[in-house]
Amino acid sequence: MKRPVIVLVALSLFIAAALSACGGAPAPTASSVQQAAPTVAAAVQQAAPTVAAVAPTVAAAAKAAAAPTTAAAPTAVAASGAAPKALSGDPIKIGVAVAQTSNTALLGQEQVIGAQIAEEFFNQRGGINGRPIKLVLQDTAGDEAGAINAFQQLINNDKVVGIIGPTLSQQAFAADPIADKAGVPVIGPSNTAKGIPQIGDYVSRVSAPVAVVAPNAVKAAIKDNPGVKNVAVAYAQNDAFSKSETGTFQQTVTDTLKLNLATVQTFQTTDTDFTTQVTNILNAKPDLVIISGLAADGGNLVKQLRELGYKGPIVGGNGLNTANIFPVCKDKCDGIYIAQAYSPELSTPMNDAFKAAFKAKQQGKDPGQFPAQVFAGVQVFVEALTALDKAGKLQTTDLAKLRSDLNKQALSGKYDTPLGPISFTPEGEVNQEQYYVAQIKMNSDGQTGKFVYVK
Amino acid sequence: MTLINVWQNILNGLAVGSVYAIFAVGYTLIFSILRIINFAHGAVFTVSAYFTYLLTGSAINTNGTLHKLFTDGFGAPALPIKLPFVIALLVGGLLAGLVGMLLDRIAFRPLRQRGADPLLTLVSSLGVAVAMVNLIQYFFGAEIYSYPANPFGNIPAAVNFGTADTPVPVRTIQVIIFFVAIVIVIFLTWLINSTKLGKALRAVSEDAVTASLLGINTDRIIMFTFFLSAFLGGISGTLVGVSVGVAGPYFGITYGLKGLAVIVLGGLGDIPGAIIGGIVLGLAEAFVPPQFVAFKEAVAFLILFLVLVIRPQGILGRAAVVKV
Repeated sequence: MKRPVIVLVALSLFIAAALSACGGAPAPTASSVQQAAPTVAAAVQQAAPTVAAVAPTVAAAAKAAAAPTTAAAPTAVAASGAAPKALSGDPIKIGVAVAQTSNTALLGQEQVIGAQIAEEFFNQRGGINGRPIKLVLQDTAGDEAGAINAFQQLINNDKVVGIIGPTLSQQAFAADPIADKAGVPVIGPSNTAKGIPQIGDYVSRVSAPVAVVAPNAVKAAIKDNPGVKNVAVAYAQNDAFSKSETGTFQQTVTDTLKLNLATVQTFQTTDTDFTTQVTNILNAKPDLVIISGLAADGGNLVKQLRELGYKGPIVGGNGLNTANIFPVCKDKCDGIYIAQAYSPELSTPMNDAFKAAFKAKQQGKDPGQFPAQVFAGVQVFVEALTALDKAGKLQTTDLAKLRSDLNKQALSGKYDTPLGPISFTPEGEVNQEQYYVAQIKMNSDGQTGKFVYVK
Repeated sequence: MTLINVWQNILNGLAVGSVYAIFAVGYTLIFSILRIINFAHGAVFTVSAYFTYLLTGSAINTNGTLHKLFTDGFGAPALPIKLPFVIALLVGGLLAGLVGMLLDRIAFRPLRQRGADPLLTLVSSLGVAVAMVNLIQYFFGAEIYSYPANPFGNIPAAVNFGTADTPVPVRTIQVIIFFVAIVIVIFLTWLINSTKLGKALRAVSEDAVTASLLGINTDRIIMFTFFLSAFLGGISGTLVGVSVGVAGPYFGITYGLKGLAVIVLGGLGDIPGAIIGGIVLGLAEAFVPPQFVAFKEAVAFLILFLVLVIRPQGILGRAAVVKV
């Protein structure tokens, strides 16, 4: 009869798809393979409480690398088309713990691209004075438990010198204390909530806090729309970052700009229907709406606001600062004001080089803030390690000491990153010289668009 | 609360509730025959939205494996076909139906044939759901996709149910989903109560062993049920995708828990009950006061709890007759 035939066809289609996918898939990176084969020894090591004592791989690596120091490697990487330099010695491992799965993977997958570009970029430029760097990726998924696992893997099994991650502030509050306790430097690539660098001595970030970045967008919106009196605010209340951001927004509205906060609406990052919130917002008759959420929820809120008749200006928080919202709110995204810590329109040799590398990998797309910040994080570690090597401190067998030296060195340096020049406060907070406000401009197809820098 | 607000909230509740309802119908169909919850329904819901996306000839982003496969095979990161949206919607639904049948073969039938505990079937369906979601991420990436603009032609974005001065707007796509939900229920009620196939369905649901003794191919009936449930779920998934975007591999899964609440609320296995349950849940959420709006799910589940305490069989369900 028909039934078995249909089943057979479906099954074979499925298998064919699965098989061809395996063949056509990009080879998994060495790091992902490595993590797939935890040995018993590694597991035992993980159980040992003092991390410092067990550091055979790095010790060996350091010995092997003691000999070669190729030509004076550049500290400040100039963006000329330098020919790839020959690398030797065991690679220095830097951990990258971001969300590769779960619904946070949307952000995490951009961060992975930023990390991969950084690895290729810095290795092509001679690594750490001739010694290659290797990024070890661990998936944090979207929750706290995942971030903790990834951190423990990187610290105890992979024995990285430092970690870049995790993706969400919410995860940072859970996982960073573990690294801090183990004495492993952590650079937050996208954690912008209040209180991240204060977690501990070993925690810093390259992502400027919302309190500094966010108000710029509101000010730009008011400048373009001087008649604004009533402001409606909406935020994702299950997200630490959005909550922290809306605090800044609300303070800017009431304290700095002396405007009327007409309504505060809350939602969850997993929500897709905002009919109720939009009704409440429209009832408050606002002249400006400010939204703190992530791409899918924030984009849908914008779309539904516009479809149900809101015509005034909209300010979006950092979660909306990604091209991923274009397919959600489509032509309705047009005009959203967003403050940024990164702009692809910044023209410095470093950013031009980063942009070119990103475009080559992503079919001509402009990079967003997430890959740029991860790149900056890797850069901080690479340049700090290079400086340590020059001071002769890299040839140590003591991983704990190396981690602690790296932390000190990283915090004391100045870096010319794609974000512009940055440095750190002693606490680990980023000092960024330049911020940007952009407005979304959608193309006529309603599917693609760009962030246009507002002067 | 003014009268106009009440009217707006009722419409909002109907709009949201009909999404829950069309999702829950998929659960209900399987439950009415097999007495199990098919947790993979959320994944089917999702995968069909992606099928439709592919069939409209839209491109896959670089993070999905299909990007490379398609680029190597067809010279562009998309299928070399470009179906009109409504056709793609139907074909996507049919493909989802096939996935549903496959699901029965892989996750349900082997367990059924061995007379496994329903709880094991539940876990098996959960396992398939997780695997499917991760496969989707592998093939398509985690990004948000959306269908070409104006899939239903140049219709206005919202329908005004009020006057020009006091507008009571409802998004057009939500109005469409509401009517699709109604059509699905009418169709299923007709199918089950007035056709020979429906009679067979009811017989299998009553007692599968006796039904097979009477010459009904129960495996085929069950497979058909999976097809139907997945087909309707597929259509619904795409429509919800039009409404809120195909928000990544997890977008269907998030309706899973709500869907469960809806069918319990409406009466397990009762098809009109799924609609009633969905709308009750939607209305409950719509009337949550503005300052507590982020907790609307808590309110919805509180109502579920209360209904269960007062009427354990659900709103439309019949009290279970103890078989001796």
